[in-house]
Formats: sequence, structure tokens, C-alpha cells
Amino acid sequence: MGGETRKPRREAMLLTAAIGLVLSAIGIVIGLWIDWFPIQGSTQAEDIDTLWDVLVICSVPVFVGVTAVVLFSAREFRQKPGEEHLDGPPIHGNTKLEIVWTAIPAVMLIALCGYAAVVLSNIEEAPASGQEDRVAVTGEQFTWTFEYTAPDGKKFSTNQLYVEQGKSVKFDVRSKDVIHDFWVPQWRLKIDAVPGVTTGYRVTPTRTGVYPVVCAELCGLGHAFMRQSAHVLTPARFDKWMTDMAAKKAAGAAPAAGGTAAAGGETAAVDGKALFTDGNGDATACGACHTLADAGTEAATGPNLDEVLAGQDAAAIKTSIIDPNAEISEGFGEGIMPPNYGETLTPAEIDALVKYIADATKK
Amino acid sequence: MEAAAIPAAHGHGHGHDDHHHHGPPPANRSSRAEPAMLGMLLFIVSEIMIFGAFFTAYFFIRVVQDGAWMPEGNELPVAVAGVNTAILLSSSLTLHWAETSLKAGNRNGFKVGMLTTFLLGLTFLFIQINEYIHIGFAPSDHAQGSIFYGLTGLHGAHVFIGLLLLGFVTLRAFRGHFSADDHRGVEIPGIYWHFVDVMWIVVYTSIYIV
Amino acid sequence: MLPASLRHAGWTRATFYTLLGIAFSYALSLGARAGFDYDPLLDGESVLQIALIAAPLFFLVGIGCFDYWFYWASGRPARPEDHSGHGAKSWKSYFYVNTDHKVIGIQYTVLSFFFLLVGGLMAMLMRAELAQPGRQFVDAGTFNGLFSVHASILIFLFIIPVFAGLANYVLPLMIGAPDMAFPRLNALSFWMLPVAGVLMMASFFAPGGSFASGWTAYAPLSNTAPIGQVFFTIGVQFAGAASIATALNFLVTIITMRAPGMSFFRMPLLVWANFSTSLLVVIATPFIAASQFFVLLDRGLGFNFFNSAQGGDVLMYQHVFWFYSHPAVYIMMLPGFGIISEILAVKSRKPIFGYRMMAFSLLAIVVLGFTVWAHHMFVSGMQEWIRVPMMITTAIIAVPTGIKIFSWLATMWRGVLKLDTPMLFALGFLTMFTLGGISGVMLAMIPLTIHVSDTYFIVAHIHYVLFGGSLFTIYAGVYYWFPKMTGRMYDERLGKIHFWMTFVFFNATFAPMHLIGVQGMPRRVADYADQFAGWNLAISLASFALGISTLIFVYNMVVSWRGGPRAVSNPWRALTLEWQVTSPPPVFNFDRIPTVVGGPYEYGIPGAVHGILHDGAEVTPTPAGTAAQPSKE
Ligand code: HEA
Ligand code: HEA
Ligand code: HEC
Ligand code: CUA
Ligand SMILES: [Cu+2]
Repeated sequence: MGGETRKPRREAMLLTAAIGLVLSAIGIVIGLWIDWFPIQGSTQAEDIDTLWDVLVICSVPVFVGVTAVVLFSAREFRQKPGEEHLDGPPIHGNTKLEIVWTAIPAVMLIALCGYAAVVLSNIEEAPASGQEDRVAVTGEQFTWTFEYTAPDGKKFSTNQLYVEQGKSVKFDVRSKDVIHDFWVPQWRLKIDAVPGVTTGYRVTPTRTGVYPVVCAELCGLGHAFMRQSAHVLTPARFDKWMTDMAAKKAAGAAPAAGGTAAAGGETAAVDGKALFTDGNGDATACGACHTLADAGTEAATGPNLDEVLAGQDAAAIKTSIIDPNAEISEGFGEGIMPPNYGETLTPAEIDALVKYIADATKK
Repeated sequence: MEAAAIPAAHGHGHGHDDHHHHGPPPANRSSRAEPAMLGMLLFIVSEIMIFGAFFTAYFFIRVVQDGAWMPEGNELPVAVAGVNTAILLSSSLTLHWAETSLKAGNRNGFKVGMLTTFLLGLTFLFIQINEYIHIGFAPSDHAQGSIFYGLTGLHGAHVFIGLLLLGFVTLRAFRGHFSADDHRGVEIPGIYWHFVDVMWIVVYTSIYIV
Repeated sequence: MLPASLRHAGWTRATFYTLLGIAFSYALSLGARAGFDYDPLLDGESVLQIALIAAPLFFLVGIGCFDYWFYWASGRPARPEDHSGHGAKSWKSYFYVNTDHKVIGIQYTVLSFFFLLVGGLMAMLMRAELAQPGRQFVDAGTFNGLFSVHASILIFLFIIPVFAGLANYVLPLMIGAPDMAFPRLNALSFWMLPVAGVLMMASFFAPGGSFASGWTAYAPLSNTAPIGQVFFTIGVQFAGAASIATALNFLVTIITMRAPGMSFFRMPLLVWANFSTSLLVVIATPFIAASQFFVLLDRGLGFNFFNSAQGGDVLMYQHVFWFYSHPAVYIMMLPGFGIISEILAVKSRKPIFGYRMMAFSLLAIVVLGFTVWAHHMFVSGMQEWIRVPMMITTAIIAVPTGIKIFSWLATMWRGVLKLDTPMLFALGFLTMFTLGGISGVMLAMIPLTIHVSDTYFIVAHIHYVLFGGSLFTIYAGVYYWFPKMTGRMYDERLGKIHFWMTFVFFNATFAPMHLIGVQGMPRRVADYADQFAGWNLAISLASFALGISTLIFVYNMVVSWRGGPRAVSNPWRALTLEWQVTSPPPVFNFDRIPTVVGGPYEYGIPGAVHGILHDGAEVTPTPAGTAAQPSKE
């Protein structure tokens, strides 16, 4: 009896093959239908998403095929009552078959690699026009700083990323301490920020809007909170922003300078707002981590000061700055806010800062 | 772990020579390779790899970073180290001599050979340490210093281990162990020692000379 | 004169020596600091760093791993081997140094499974934290610690050693050897594991918390991390030394101790698999040792390997680390391939399809495995030209792996499939590992990796290959050899329940991670954007069920071991040698070494023989199988 049952029934095989094909088809359809990716925000993203679709189309049949054979065998060849002592046919191999299933995947994979290599060179290609902005991105525990060069050659830095729609921009990515990773999911691009090395990538944003800048490489306690935002502006608005910032810096430079001079003993009026948004030479800007409507900063690494500070008195704020870990505010990790503002800011600066924040949050 | 390969197999040998009535059946020898010897050779393979890893670091620091090798004012005592190299190499020769004398049944040659080998190795180690003291830079000064101390130190550690093994052998030599037809216990530490020497040539040429 | 309890190997002496080790560390630290006149003279961290190395070594001496070698080295006439330390007399024997590969095999396996529970428990805590956005139970630091220890324990103290344990038990039996080549080295390898495990778990009590820079411990983060990091740095050294020693042992055993007639191409594929794995271990493991030495030197003695300001090279760490850790992923898979080959042949009652290609593909993977490490560094900012070559080699590895998958399918084709627990896990492995492998091939495609690297897509890949791949094969192997190792049968019904629960909730847990990963959820974060909340809650719930399924397995094993029905010597009608001796096997395996006369998988050939035991009995499938179909070939 055993004999016949061992031979797979042709119709059963055809049926499974058919089912396999249908399932693969369905699988591919589903695979393409699921919207896997976040918004498509750059020309690079388009190429990458297409690559993904191709990969899905190649992968699903492989998986479905293997699974189909497993299920078919489990159903057709399972040991039935009375077959306890039965053995299968002693087939030791079949060279033709083995060549086939070595060659096909090999060809398929080489093809995929070729395609992937092409996509890679496309997404890294410099714009034909040669027209390209440059932004220096610096990561540190646990915030990003973006440095621009204004048309007039002046340099200024911000804690939020601003780029121009439709124009290629090249980032020079560096790190001050450990490894971070500069990632904007909507652009599909990321690169590590490595101490001692300048890495980078170029992107051509296609959609205006505000997107998260995510640190994707474990960098310590604040890693999960190391988030800022990338603003993609229309060319017109971007130019305006650029000129405004350049002007503002030209003005803002003085107090900041005065601030640091204050360290040298002489007392000058310190602009708390400027300190909050830009910090001074060595103290990281508060705005890098905190949202404060009045200063126009938006960051989620630290608590939103508009909310948490409403009705807190200056003294409390001062301690929170000088000794952030004194009491840890709800939902945030200890040791994320730099504990050394006591040193990096001069007393004059701290007072100015506290005064500014107290006023700004008193409503 | 280093010494492991030898005695384990050694004891094993005894296991079935003396007591075949109880104890395991004598294992079939499916290869001409001597188990303990094979073990030591494989161990040396992994040793080569650990040096390989340190040389990778050396490569990155010296070539990829392409900083000056060595930084201004840090001279490596090529000559002293050269003498030291000669000392270490000669210890390989004396070791070889010891082994041949043992095989020729010349116990005194064997003992003297082992002793001189041991002493030469010891001298090498002392000169190395002395070099550290007078070299004028610390591993904490710069990456070049780190990898210099890293590689030479790693090798030094191996010399030390080798000396332990040789020490045991010498000890047992004077206790009258080993004979013209039982010399595996000498050969296997011997291979390790020769490996340590060869490795030094690589380290010396790449760090001091190139 | 010391009291006997301190003179003879054992736990009292081990404790005593450990204390000595700690005292020694204080002395050394004080001495050194006095010598270089540092102040303060007593520095906790430096003492701790020394103690982490010294105390374990002293412990190993105390427990008795070195007694014989010291005895030998001191040059006293080597005493004739009495087999006092060989074979288990009672359950107590498993807590002492023992040179019997069967005892060591069980020590390994049981201990590793304990670590699975510990590591799994940490996963449960992680999932509890991740069930909702924001902070639930643990702060960021603890969370980073959790997944770091989770991964380190499961990789270095579960997957790698449990394979070594299973092989330790069955491999000498399979090749007709009385024991491993170096029984004492074997014992030492085992005892280094609890040391490594204790270090990693103890790190949670270290000032500043456990090591929290991931199982990859990238510098410079690991350089600047609190002292807990050193528990990893040194723990890994012990685990690494253990696996190198075991690998040496396997290689020498396989090369020099095969039974007469067992040519390389008559070896069961499990032996081939462990042969290949051991090659990987011996060649690759020194690299992770070195990478951790660098970190240790940077931290402890102010070296500058990873200090870019002083000319150090940060990316060098990743190159050295991955040159071990990519081969390591095959170290964690190849032995599983071996287990699957054994089970599929026996449970399908058919010879392995394309035996030689199965063996060669293993070697191909070994060779290719050394040429792909930088596929973990596509976004690391390394030299750009390295990427494309690495992409190609990485993709090509899918070919030999594919050969194995397809050959296994062909082995089942037209067989007589016995769908019991080991077989179910084997089939589960075939499908799940294929899925994980395919996501791996996707990851090889650089432009895609640029987006999904460091996201939950990676986490999904990790678990499909390590859980759906490695762990499934481990479950299969444990069920398959349970009768041989314990002399009892496991509960088939519970086994099937365990499989189905695991299979379902494994997918429920890890499949959605592909999606949230591509959508942009980064890995290694304690908190995440609200858009991912829904999926994460579902994942967490599924993962708890997965945890419970594991407990069912534990229950089955414990109860069956203590009270299961006695197992016959060859319950699966298998041909390989380990099944021809009693369950469990006699203390010295065979009273005379068997002779091998044929291949290990000749099922379906009436009267086929693999080996002859010299107590008369011929090794044939019992009762001899009858071929269903006269073979076409
Ligand atoms: C058991 C462990 C294991 C195994 C076997 C694999 C197998 C593979 N892995 Fe994976 N991998 C890991 C464990 C493993 N991996 C871990 C732990 C990480 C994360 C490390 C970290 O923490 O960062 C990782 C990360 C990782 C990365 C880095 C991602 C990143 O961080 O950016 C990449 C990239 O190339 C990769 C690729 C592959 C490939 C191509 C295979 C191939 O070997 C798979 C080959 C198998 C198949 C393809 C299936 C069967 C084949 C067929 C059915 C033939 C036909 C198939 C096709 C034609 C596609 N893996
Ligand atoms: C073999 C390896 C292995 C195994 C088996 C597992 C098993 C599991 N893993 Fe893990 N995992 C890794 C290897 C593994 N993992 C690696 C390498 C990483 C990368 C880490 C890094 O980024 O550095 C990782 C990371 C990782 C993450 C990502 C963390 C992050 O990046 O933020 C997550 C998140 O869900 C996770 C979850 C799980 C779950 C739910 C299980 C479940 O399968 C667990 C099932 C539960 C059990 C097996 C325990 C059952 C027992 C009990 C519930 C009680 C126990 C009782 C006592 C101990 C007394 N793992
Ligand atoms: C790298 C990130 C970071 C930077 C830069 C930073 N902070 Fe914070 N800050 C945090 C985090 C995280 C917390 C919450 C944990 C805590 O209380 O320490 C916090 C808490 C605070 C609090 C207490 C809020 C409360 O709940 O009472 C105040 C006030 C504050 N920061 C002000 C500042 C000021 C002013 C600066 C700039 C001089 C600054 N921070 C810079 C991250 C940062
Ligand atoms: Cu910065 Cu993570
Ligand atoms: Cu890899």
C-alpha cells in the first residue's frame, strides 16, 4: 500500500503549485499595498522606495515557495497509520537539480546587487547644475547643531535644520563626543556622526514641511530623546530665512560677545534670549533641547518649558539650570541635561537667562 | 588555557596505557597527527589571529589615520631592540639544540640547552621592560604610543607564557623526566616558543624598521 | 596544614580562593598605585577592574580546573589516570569539575537554558517598558542596560554554548570516540561560562548601572561608560576563551578520534557542522578578544586606540568587532544546520539529499563568512569603496545557504514524515529562517540599509534568524536527543503545544517589527513617537505569550526528566552511532570502538548498515526499513 501514497499525486502537486503561484501573487500585492514607508520627502526616497518594491517582488515568491513545499510535504508525505516501519525511497541526490538551485538564486542575487549599485550611485550623485547648499551638522550628547554660511560669508548656527525645497544640499556631519547618527526618515537617508571623521550625504528635499531629525545610533542616556526637526521651506521663504538669520546674527553677535567678555570681569548687558537660542561659545543652547514659544525653539529632548515652568519662580529655575539632576522632572531621564552650566555660563549670563525664562514663561 | 593541550593529552595517554581493564577503550587514531601537537598548532592559529587584530589596529592608526610614525621627538631604539631580537632568536637555536641532544640521549646537553633557552628568554623580557622605562613616551601620550605598547606588550605577554612553559619543562628536565623516546612534552612547548620568536620578527620589522 | 575542605577541589576551596583573588586585587592595585605614587592610594574602580579578572581565575583554580596541570607542571611523576573525576555518580556530580563529555554536555545545556530564561526575562521587562510610549517602569539608562545584557547573555551564554553543549554530548558518540580529545580542557571551557554569566548579570549592581552600550559596545561610548561596561568587556573574554577552547577540542577530536571506517564523507552532518563552526571560532574569536582588550586598555590605562583627538581611530573598533561578530552569527547558525540535517533525514526516513553539497556549502559559508563583516557598517561612515564589494559577498552567502534549504526540502520529498515535536520545530525552522535570511538579503542592499539600519527592521531580522533560526533548531535538537541524554521520553502533547504557541506568538511578536522599522522606529530606544504605540502594544502582548510558551517547555523538560517513561536505546530508528548505545550511554560510551562501514543516512536501503558495534549487534534501522519505491537513481 505504502508505495502509491509515497508518490505525490499529480493533481495534488499541480494544485499546490497553483496555490503557491496565487499566494505569491497575493503576497506581492499585499507587500506592495502595505504603506511601509513614512512620507516620501526627497528624490533619493523615490529611488529607494522603488528598490524596496523590487525586493518585495523577488522575495515573496522565495518565501512562499519554500513554505508551500513544506506544507505540501507535511500533508502528502506524513506518516499514516500502518506506515510506522516504512522508509522513503533512498534518493541520494540529483546533480541537475542541484545546479539549477545554485544557479537561479546566484543569478537573481547578482542582478539585485547590480540594480542596488545603480540606485546607490544615483542617490549619491552630485546635482548636474553644480548648485548645492552646504550645511555643517554637529552631533553631541544629546543634541544637533547646524551651521550655515550666509551669502555674505558670515557663519551662524541654529538648533533646527532649515533646507530649501527642490535644491540639493550636502551635509558635513561631525561629532563632538561619541558616535551619533543623522537620520531623517522622510528622506530615507542616514549617516553616522563619527568623532575625528567628517561623514555626510546629500539630499534633494521634494516636500515642504517639518520632519523629525532622529539620532539613530546609540549614544547614551539621552539617545532616545535626541530629536530635532528639519524644516523644508520653499526657495522664497528659505532665502528670507537666510537673510533674516544673517542679519540677526550680525546684531546678536554683540551681546553674546559681551556675555563671554563678562567672564573677563567687565559687566555688559547680556541678552538672555540669545543665550537661550544660541548658547555662548562653550554652553550648548537651551533651545537645542527645550521648547520655548517666546524664543521660538521647539525641541523635545527636555521638557517643554512653557508648560513645566508656568508659575515656577526664578529661584527654582536657577537651581534647575545649575543642578538639573536636583529633581528630575516627570518623564525625563537623569543626566541628560548638561550638569555643568554652572561653569560654562558666567553668573551674569545665568541671571540674565533665568530672568528671561521667568518672564517668558510667566503668563 | 595555554598549557592545556599538552598535559590533557599527556594524562590521557596514561589513561589507557596503565588501566585498560577499567577506563575508556583506547580511541581509534583516525589521523597521523598527534592530538596534543594538533591542538597546539590550532591554538597557535588563534594566537596568530589575535596578533592579526592588533596589527589591524596598527594599520588603522598608522596608515588610515596617516599621522606621523612616530610623532616628533619619539625615537624608537632600533639598535637595542635589534640586539634583543638577536637574543630571542638565539634562544630558538639553543632550544633546538636541547631537543636534538635529548633525542640523541645526551641529557646534559638537554638540561644546559633548556636552561640557556630559559635565561635568554628572561633577558629578552628584561631588556624589553628596560626599553619601556627609557623610551620617553607613554601609551597615554598618543595613539602611536598606544599601539606600540599594545603590540610589544602583547608579544611580551606571550614571551612570559612561553617562559612559564619552558620553566616547567626545565624543572622536569632536572627532575629527570623525558628521554630519547618520550620528548613530546618538550616539543610542544618548543613549537610555541618558536612561534613567539617568529612573531617577534614580524613585530620588530613592522614597528621598528618599516 | 590546611583543612581537607581547603585542600581538595570543591566549592569551599573555590570560595576561599575567590576571596584570596579579591585580596590579591587590593594588594596589586595598592602596590601599583604606590609604585607610581598616584593618589588616592585606594581606588575602587582600579581594584574592581583587577578583581574582575583575578577573582574568576582564582575561582577556577579553587573549583579544581587546574589541579592536574599544576600537578604535572610541578614536575612530579605524572600519576596514572584514575577516572575519579569522570562520569556522574549522582545529581551532585553536575556541580563539580567533571571530565566526562556527557556530564559536561548536560552541564552546558542546562546552564545555557537557565541563561535563556534570564535573558528572556529581561526581554519581558523591555517589552513591558515599550508597551506604551513614554516612561513605564524603567528609565532610559536601565532600559539601555536591559537590551545590552539581554543580547549579550543570549548570544554569548545561550546560543553559542548551548550548541557546544549538545555537540559535546552527542559528537563523540557519533564518531565512535570514548570522549573528547582533551577532557580537562573541556571541563575548563565549561566552568568559564558561569563566570562570564555571573559577571554579566552582576553588572546591574555596579555603580552607575550595568553596561548599556548594546551588545556591540561601540567605542567611544564604551570607553566613557560607567564601570559596569567592564563587566561586559571581561565577561566576553571568558566566554570567548571558553568557546575557543571548545572549538580546539572539537577539531582535534573530529580529526584524530573518528572510529575506523568513518571517513570524512561518512560523518553525520552534525559533525561536519561543528567542524565548520569550530574553524570559524578558532579563527574569528581572537578578534573580539582584541577589540575588548583595546577598550580595556583605553579605559584602564589611558591608551588612545579610540581617542580621535590623539590619533586613535574610532571605526577601527567596528572593523575588528564585526570581523568576529559576523562570523559569529554563523557560529550561531551552522550547528543548527547540523541538527536539522540529522532530524530531517531520520524523521523523513530518507537519505540526506546531496550529502556532499551539504558538507561543501558549510565550508563555503565559513569562507564567505570572513568576507562580509562591513555589511554592518554601511552607514558607519567608513571608506565608501568598501560597501559595494561587501554587498556582493553578503548577497552571495545566500547561495550556499539556499543550497542547504533546498536540499532539506528535497530530503523530505516523498519521505515518510513523522510529524512529532522535533520534526515540527525543524519545519518551523525551514520557513522562519528563510524569512529571516531574506530580510538579511534585503539588508545587504545598501540603499535600503541606509534607511532601515538601526531600526526595528534590524531587530526583526535579528530575531527571525536567531530565534526562528537558531533557537528553533535548539528546541528541535533538545527534544530529539532528550531520550538519549536523560534516558526518559518527553511529553509529546506538551511538546506540540509548545511548538504551536511558540510558532504563533513568535511571529506575532517579531513580524510587525519589520513594518514599524521601515516606518521609522529606531532601535535601542526606551521611548518612541506615538504613531508606533498601537503596534508596540500588540508586540508586547504577543511577547508575553511567547514567554509563557517558553515556560511550558521548561515544565515539560523538568517533569519528563524526573518522571517520564524510560526511553529505549533507539526510539527514532536512527542509524547514527549515538543511538546504538543505551540511553543514557554507558560511562565510557563503548566497551569497544565500533567500526563504520557505510554512510550515516542510508534509510530506505534494506539492510543498510552505518557502523558495527562489537557486542555483535549490527547498526541497522530497527526493524530494518522497507523502501516504498525502488529508487529511481
Ligand atoms: C543567526 C544569526 C544570523 C544569521 C544566520 C544572519 C544571516 C544573514 N544576515 Fe544578519 N544579522 C544578525 C544575525 C544573523 N544574520 C544579527 C544579530 C544582526 C544585528 C547585529 C546588530 O546588533 O547590529 C544582523 C545584521 C545584519 C545586517 C546589518 C544590518 C544593519 O545593521 O544595518 C545585514 C546586512 O547585510 C545582515 C545580512 C544577513 C545576510 C545576507 C544573511 C544571510 O546569511 C542569510 C542567507 C539565507 C537566506 C537568504 C535564506 C535561505 C536562502 C534561500 C531560500 C535561497 C534563495 C534566496 C534568495 C534568492 C534571496 N544581517
Ligand atoms: C538568541 C538571541 C535572542 C533571543 C532568543 C531573543 C529573544 C527575545 N528578544 Fe531579543 N535581541 C537579541 C537576541 C535575542 N532576543 C539581540 C542580539 C538584540 C540586539 C540588542 C542590541 O541592540 O544590542 C535583541 C534586541 C531585542 C529588542 C530590541 C531592543 C532595542 O533595540 O531597543 C527587543 C524588543 O522587543 C527584543 C525582544 C525579545 C523578545 C520579546 C524575545 C523573546 O523571544 C523572549 C521569550 C521569553 C523567554 C525565553 C523567557 C521566558 C521566561 C520567563 C518569562 C520567566 C523566566 C523566569 C526566570 C528567569 C526566573 N530583543
Ligand atoms: C542636552 C539637552 C538639554 C540642554 C542643552 C538643556 N536642557 Fe534643560 N533639561 C533637559 C532635560 C532632559 C530635562 C529634564 C530632566 C531634568 O530635570 O534634569 C531638563 C530640565 C530643565 C529644567 C527643569 C524643568 C522642570 O521640570 O522643572 C529647566 C528649568 C531647564 N532644563 C532649563 C534649561 C536651560 C535654561 C538650558 C540652557 C542653559 C537647558 N535647560 C539646556 C535637557 C536639556
Ligand atoms: Cu545621539 Cu543617539
Ligand atoms: Cu552580519
